[in-house]
Amino acid sequence: MALDIDRYHSVDSVVNRWDPRTKIAALGILIFSIALVKTLPMALVGFAVAVLLIRLTALPWHFIFHGLSFVLIFLVPFFFIMPLSYPGESAFEILGLGFAWEGLRLATLIFIKAISIVLVTYAIFGSSRFDISMLALQHLRCPKVVVQMLLFTYRYTFVFLDEMRRMHTSMQARGFIARANMKTMTILGHFVGTLLIRSFERTDRVFKAMLSKGYQGELHSMVEFHSHGIDYAKAVVVVVFSLALVVGDFSGQWPQAVQGWY
Amino acid sequence: MHISEGILTTPVWLAGYAGTAVLAAVTMRKLDMEEVPKISVITAVFFIASLIKVPLGPASIHLILNGLVGVVLGWRAFAAIMLGIILQAIIFGHGGITVIGINSLMLGGGALIAYMVWQQRHRFSFKKRELVFGALAGAAGTISSGLVLAGALITTGEEFYAIAATVLAAHVPIMLIEAAVVGSSAAFLYKTKPDILAGRRQTVKEG
Amino acid sequence: MSDQIMIDVDNISFTYPDGHEVLKGLSCKIMKGEKVALIGPNGAGKSTFMSHLNGVELASSGRVSVAGVEVTKASLKEIRRQVGIVFQDPDDQLFCPTVFDDVAFGPLNLGLPKDEIEARVDQALQVVGLEDFKDRSSFHLSFGERKRLALATVLSYQPEVLVFDEPSTNMDPMNRRKLINWLKESDKTILLCTHDLDIALEVCDRCLMLTDGQIIAEGPTKQMLYDRKFLEENKLELPLALMTHELLHGILHTQEDMDEDHRDIISKFLHAHRHAHGPGGHEHVHLHVHGHGHEHLHEDPDDTHTHSHGDHGHGGDGHAGVPHSHGDEMTSHHHHDDHDHDHGHDHDHDHDHSHDHDGEK
Repeated sequence: MALDIDRYHSVDSVVNRWDPRTKIAALGILIFSIALVKTLPMALVGFAVAVLLIRLTALPWHFIFHGLSFVLIFLVPFFFIMPLSYPGESAFEILGLGFAWEGLRLATLIFIKAISIVLVTYAIFGSSRFDISMLALQHLRCPKVVVQMLLFTYRYTFVFLDEMRRMHTSMQARGFIARANMKTMTILGHFVGTLLIRSFERTDRVFKAMLSKGYQGELHSMVEFHSHGIDYAKAVVVVVFSLALVVGDFSGQWPQAVQGWY
Repeated sequence: MHISEGILTTPVWLAGYAGTAVLAAVTMRKLDMEEVPKISVITAVFFIASLIKVPLGPASIHLILNGLVGVVLGWRAFAAIMLGIILQAIIFGHGGITVIGINSLMLGGGALIAYMVWQQRHRFSFKKRELVFGALAGAAGTISSGLVLAGALITTGEEFYAIAATVLAAHVPIMLIEAAVVGSSAAFLYKTKPDILAGRRQTVKEG
Repeated sequence: MSDQIMIDVDNISFTYPDGHEVLKGLSCKIMKGEKVALIGPNGAGKSTFMSHLNGVELASSGRVSVAGVEVTKASLKEIRRQVGIVFQDPDDQLFCPTVFDDVAFGPLNLGLPKDEIEARVDQALQVVGLEDFKDRSSFHLSFGERKRLALATVLSYQPEVLVFDEPSTNMDPMNRRKLINWLKESDKTILLCTHDLDIALEVCDRCLMLTDGQIIAEGPTKQMLYDRKFLEENKLELPLALMTHELLHGILHTQEDMDEDHRDIISKFLHAHRHAHGPGGHEHVHLHVHGHGHEHLHEDPDDTHTHSHGDHGHGGDGHAGVPHSHGDEMTSHHHHDDHDHDHGHDHDHDHDHSHDHDGEK
């Protein structure tokens, strides 16, 4: 499971060279504009741009696809459920359930939007080192304490993943097989409990180590951000496009997928 | 179980952000320096623990354990859940960026409700108290999240009624599993390291 | 080693919030430049004691002073500049994205200017041999590398006092040897809390025995670590280096009817032991002086090489009155380059110097 999204952060590209602060701000706006879209044509345009963006990051496809797979698994059922459960008139019947084209359209819209947003997310966080992205967030007025905790959590996720694997191995070595019964639940409960206790004891030690090195509540960093004209230029391009997307969507030129009470 | 990108309408996910901002601000007041690494580490554990798969018939589901976060961190549980959601959005793209607000509200709110249920244990005193109330907290955490999720779907539109119903139905077996695991965890922790559990009434007054 | 008292612990007691009293009137002094070992059974309070040295825990009674400054809530920042603790588990001390960041953490907290921080980081990484790892993630290093990195994160802080909590646990022998060499060469004040009595034997001048929340004994390494009875009373044992010696000696002594060849082999082996080079030069302490040959296995070439008699520390039965003599045949010397032997004692020995030279340190 690829937990380290910034594995390829050193891959050089137009996006990689973009100052993280302007990058996150501009692409963040893009994400929200895609989320606002209600018409299929505009969604497809957004999707095309997202794909273009990913191409520009030069991140390897297998990496992207692996990340997409989670969303895909989650969304594919929608293609079945939505058309068959759509309220109102139905075009024809399948197995006694009314099939509505509108439902299919909605499902497609959702699907395209979701994939597009995930792609843009990868473009943002896959092209910079994670801690640098977090620092950029801090510069963008994200509360310091939240950023600090995100950094620590990210760091320790790897340590605990390791620990969990070791515990799991030792459990399997003693014949544990997970089944859907109370015994498994009890054992899982103990497993999680043990993991928790170890983590608690670890935080104590980590905190002492930090204090011993002079920590007083704030994380300092040597990272400096520089914005040049090109960074702003890239941002302008993205923002203008995002606005165009939303405007085009509202323009009424294309039928909007009916979603919601309005 | 949380919601992915693109499904909810704008007012809904915006409301999610508003609610999360409020709850975060309230529950993170006066955050002590020492709590920062503590919350981070617990979040990491839950992040990882949610990768544990439980077989359920032909398929398997992932543990959520937001109830346990509530039992262990008390009011700070909201912060931990929110961090976990943010990281999931960034790292996995699973349950994306626009829905960070609503997902945090859903699961974090569930954790807080679980904590409130857990605190009721002080009214009782019997041998398996922690096991029972842990289980209740686990169930409460799941039910609350499920209800918020269903509510968000329904608010989005009529066309999501069926999905909302399916989701709620799916939460029933999840609720049972969560109750079992959280209950067992709480009992285990009470026996081995009780000071981990949140909301303990202090018998020895600290100087 | 100077006469300045670096750490002064005066009758401190400490009780945990759950009521567990861990330190019960503990006192000790550590001089500047000294290398001291803190030994004792598990649960005696070693970790708790260490936490008091940099104010992570504050004593409920008594006082701790570092370089004359008392450890209080107000002086914490200054105290922590002077005292650095290297904890046992490197994963507790490495929490930044890259190696560079972890080593820079301390100096950053000191508020130093950017170029000074970079200089310190480079220096610290060089000392531990990790200068090529600057941009790597600390998580992807091997255990030995992480242990060295943990040391670097404290070195960059440049404290005068270095406290180590079980530095050699889980280390592979080569890295352990590197650590020992580093410790021996360092001019800092060093406190080693350890179960590895062999490291203590090699590195430290003095030992403190911490048992049940108190320092019940202290003394020169050469006394404390040779006292089998005292060590075993406190749930410890003789250092391995000394154990083999004792065992073989015991065999020689009890097996009266052993044939000469066997006796010869064992006695040669008995003294073909590694030199425990005490601090302050190259000193070979004779433990057992009996009618058998005597071989030295030199580890590193050295131009100050003296042999002197130390005490014969035997627990229980003494060996007073046993005849001391050595064979007089001189076998061939195999000298390497600049290795000069200056034997400062009056016994003639069988010398067979086989030099075991390590590559580089």
